[in-house]
Amino acid sequence: MKEDTSDLFLIDRLKNGEKNALYPLYDKYSGALFGVIVRMCRDKELAEDLLQESFIKIWEKIESYKPGRGKFYTWAYRICRNTTLNHLRKSSPLIQQEDLSVYKDVTDEMPSEPYEQLKGVLKKLEPHHQEAIRLVYFKGYTHKEAHEFMGVPLGTFKSYIRQALLKLRSIRSELYHVLIVIEVLANG
Amino acid sequence: MDRKRIIEEGLLERYALGTLATDEETELIEALLIDEGLKEQLAEFEAEFEQIGLENAIAPPARVKEQLRKSLEAVSLPAPSSVSKSSSVLQSGRLMVAASMAALFALGAFWLYVQWQTSIEDLNTLQTQTNQLQERLDGLEQQYDTTRERYATINDPKTIPLYLVGNQNSPETRVVAYVNHEDKTVIVNGLGLVALEREKAYQMWADVEGEMINMGLIPVGEEYIPLRYIDKAESLNITVEPAGGSEHPTVQNLITNVYL
Repeated sequence: MKEDTSDLFLIDRLKNGEKNALYPLYDKYSGALFGVIVRMCRDKELAEDLLQESFIKIWEKIESYKPGRGKFYTWAYRICRNTTLNHLRKSSPLIQQEDLSVYKDVTDEMPSEPYEQLKGVLKKLEPHHQEAIRLVYFKGYTHKEAHEFMGVPLGTFKSYIRQALLKLRSIRSELYHVLIVIEVLANG
Repeated sequence: MDRKRIIEEGLLERYALGTLATDEETELIEALLIDEGLKEQLAEFEAEFEQIGLENAIAPPARVKEQLRKSLEAVSLPAPSSVSKSSSVLQSGRLMVAASMAALFALGAFWLYVQWQTSIEDLNTLQTQTNQLQERLDGLEQQYDTTRERYATINDPKTIPLYLVGNQNSPETRVVAYVNHEDKTVIVNGLGLVALEREKAYQMWADVEGEMINMGLIPVGEEYIPLRYIDKAESLNITVEPAGGSEHPTVQNLITNVYL
């Protein structure tokens, strides 16, 4: 759970009531968080409001963030996810289940807008691994909802997530080594 | 929560995604505190999720940051009211928050009122119970004093215990009379008296020069019954009389006597 020291410094300043410390964090993470929110709600205008609301919550709740329990991004992601799902829950007939499900009986639509398409190393994963990550990370599904959506047993779905994360790590490691080789070759 | 379950159930991934139930999260945090290996795995998952987010980032319009800045500048301290006026969604959201908070305050005030009333009732009940206990304590103290006094009287070396055994009218009767001529007291133990019909009662008499003088009634089943001391009594006699006692003894109903 290593945290970027500059993040910790900003977080300390935020906890001391210094609002301006929020903007560097916004600059650093708003794109990633906006990417999550907009894929979740599929409405750019609404996503802008939800992003703003989420950062206000980050400012308001910063005292409850404990660096020892996880990265700042993880904490901020959860705030964005919950803010978005709460809004979707209020504006659609979704009922939260015991397992935190909110999408029961609602058929998810596959990504159709260009901004919904996944990018980066994720695209190198096998389709079922990509889909598993898309559902839990970008749609806010619980494991239970996601395995039902994909039509595979819960245990299999859990394996998908774990395998996907391990595969991503492995691909990144390979890419890192390739970059080093390229750099060595380029510099003689 | 053991490591095997944490891994098999995918709890680390779910923690990083924020989909764990509160109790599961609490247990996992405790497990992370003592298991460095798990902590490292979580850090890797978190880093991966962050990387996924950054790779799939979509830059929000600059106006979002401006609105955020305006919202934060509008308040001196963090407060839910710091929402952009131009955002109808946020506006309604904030109104909902304000309404919810007002409802919470109202509920809180009502709850406090109910608690207050309950506390007053509890206090009154407690006061009543304390009074009752005090009364019982006073009663017990009084009983204890009486018993102690009678016990002292009975065990006084100057007290003479007299045993009255039932005659043919009541062969099962056994009575003890404690007579103290110096203190001029008589205490009778009536535990050995046979139960009578409701309209009848035992009465004790002192024989003084052939005249029977009333000493009082003896309730059945009582241990220490103080009776009237009669000077120069030659014997003590118990008869069965109508309830409330008689002025003169019914001699044929004599059940026991003892000479002094």
